[in-house]
Amino acid sequence: MDNDSYLKELENKSIYIIREAYWEYKDNLAILWSMGKDSTTLVHLVRKAFLGKVIIPVVHIDTTFKFKEIYEFRDKYAKEWGLELIIAKNISALKENMSAEKGRFDCCNTLKTEALKQEIERRGFKALLLAIRRDEHAIRAKERYFSQRDKKFRWDYQNQPLELWSEYYKTVADTGAHIRVHPLLHWREIDIWRYIKRERLPVVNLYFAKKNKRYRSIGCECCCQPIESKANTIDKIIKEIENTVIPERSGRVQDKEKEYMMQKLRSLGYM
Amino acid sequence: MKTEGCLKVVLTGDVDAGKSTLIGRFLYESGSLSEGSMEEIARVCQSLNSEFEFAYLLDSFEEERKGQLTIDTTQTFCKAKKGKQFIFIDVPGHRELLKNMLCGSSYADIAILVIDAEKSIEAQTKRHLFILKFLGVDQIIVALNKMDAVSFKETVFKAIIEEINAFSAIAGIKPGYFIPLSAKKGENILKRSKRMPWYKGLPLAGILDSSYKRRTIHDFRFPIQDIYDLNGNKIAVGKIISGRIREGQTVNIMPLNKTARVKKISVFNEKKSHAAARESIGLTLDDMSGLCRGQIICKPNLPEGKQEILTRILCVQPLNTKENMIFKCATQEVSVRLKQIIGAWDMAALEPKSIGISAGRDDVIEAVLITDTPVVAENYKGSNGLGRFVLKGNSEIRAVGLIL
Repeated sequence: MDNDSYLKELENKSIYIIREAYWEYKDNLAILWSMGKDSTTLVHLVRKAFLGKVIIPVVHIDTTFKFKEIYEFRDKYAKEWGLELIIAKNISALKENMSAEKGRFDCCNTLKTEALKQEIERRGFKALLLAIRRDEHAIRAKERYFSQRDKKFRWDYQNQPLELWSEYYKTVADTGAHIRVHPLLHWREIDIWRYIKRERLPVVNLYFAKKNKRYRSIGCECCCQPIESKANTIDKIIKEIENTVIPERSGRVQDKEKEYMMQKLRSLGYM
Repeated sequence: MKTEGCLKVVLTGDVDAGKSTLIGRFLYESGSLSEGSMEEIARVCQSLNSEFEFAYLLDSFEEERKGQLTIDTTQTFCKAKKGKQFIFIDVPGHRELLKNMLCGSSYADIAILVIDAEKSIEAQTKRHLFILKFLGVDQIIVALNKMDAVSFKETVFKAIIEEINAFSAIAGIKPGYFIPLSAKKGENILKRSKRMPWYKGLPLAGILDSSYKRRTIHDFRFPIQDIYDLNGNKIAVGKIISGRIREGQTVNIMPLNKTARVKKISVFNEKKSHAAARESIGLTLDDMSGLCRGQIICKPNLPEGKQEILTRILCVQPLNTKENMIFKCATQEVSVRLKQIIGAWDMAALEPKSIGISAGRDDVIEAVLITDTPVVAENYKGSNGLGRFVLKGNSEIRAVGLIL
């Protein structure tokens, strides 16, 4: 099997999952879009699943600390692709000047998880499509395609439901809970980049090297470190990833402030 | 670099047989680990006052590391420098966690059954072997691990082969390979072990390289997932679970029992005149009336829908004949009840149990199901999607079944 048919296989699987989620949740389904390469791929796959149009709302959890390039990208493509964009902010926490300086764990938890919690309550979303992948982080590798979060957003990772043959899932959430749907769980970083090339998807220019530095994973400006790199085109990025042994999220400080930080953040509802 | 369709390999076996350790060792030797991961594990081991533990590469939960067990299934990519690409699936060995084992194993093309050379064949090993067969995973490699603990003795290896063969014969399973190895010491993983010159076979990596993907079925089967309305045009969307289809072909729609012609195959931004298994597509037929989710578009035709079905069921939760559940086969979902249990077995002993009106967790039963409305299905042939189903209650999967 060549790369192209492998990518098609990944795509087909994701589209099936997106359509299952839509069948179950219709208007109560939304996509989380961080404008990163993965969730931009997800938005594209949703558009493919519905044969041309992104028919569900797209939520950006805005900590207000993102790179300006990310905001520009958001506004440009939300318009171009005709997205129904919802911007979720934890306004009260921002008024109290929450920031990474007050502790990264609290900052991520308040400005991302809590902001999402507020938005879900406001809009009545019952399910969210998220672009997490198994190969990003060992904790994310433990996830299911359909993964419930209870009313308090907790992830009961010690008792996950049975899923079989990429076909049978527990798609319905218990009362008060919501379902996180992960259509990209089986994609790797390299697959995403090959797919971006294949589909000619735009990405935020922070991913491309400038002065021998580029961002491999993007988020809040205060918590992202660029890597040493000369890769200033998609082809060069693909080459670089094919040959690297450095983990993708090495520049994301919130993952490793202390052991099990990701597990703890995620058990409280972090993405 | 070529991506060779990624073979999925599940590691099964009893608690502490060394499944996670074997994957961790394989990743390490094949150069698949990312920078810093060995250091991170070393740090964790130090904080737990334990020896270096390859298993922690997979067992990422704090509870898993502190409790020294795998709680949930995980998947990891193996970036071997040459040969095939693999995805390793780790599953827990504990009996209480059989649900998570089923989950991981259902995705597999190949299974490695890991056995502790210091122990004899435990009931759990037999259960796992049985489940693999049940799920249609028929390429099984039996790996006798911890050979270092038994001084790499051939007699130990031979005794285990005999024991496994005795059970496999009754269960109707035929493991393809037996291999002695040591995950901890790295013997027979990527290279043939010098400590076991009596073993003439391939090292684990060589065996995996000679494995293949699961067989596919050729009949065209397209369960309708949803009907989309695109500017007034109705399109049946779904995934082809087997076979292929071309524009212009005549197909049957079951259980509607009617025929129609394929007018158009739709995929976003692409012209398509034909499509094949595992593709998610949209189909427009010349007659779209009465089409809805759950129906099957097929060629050749399927047997007529029926309400009484003879099945073999693996109970993930206890079942009884009084309860109503949901029968889910592909996208069909109907209310169902166990009409009669006609046989019950213990998975490990393969001995009949007494038949009653209920079945316990982990039991295997043969039963007649009765559904509210007719369902379309076919006999199980090893991997055909319409030959297998799940029973759901409270939206959770309570049992996995095959159609006899």
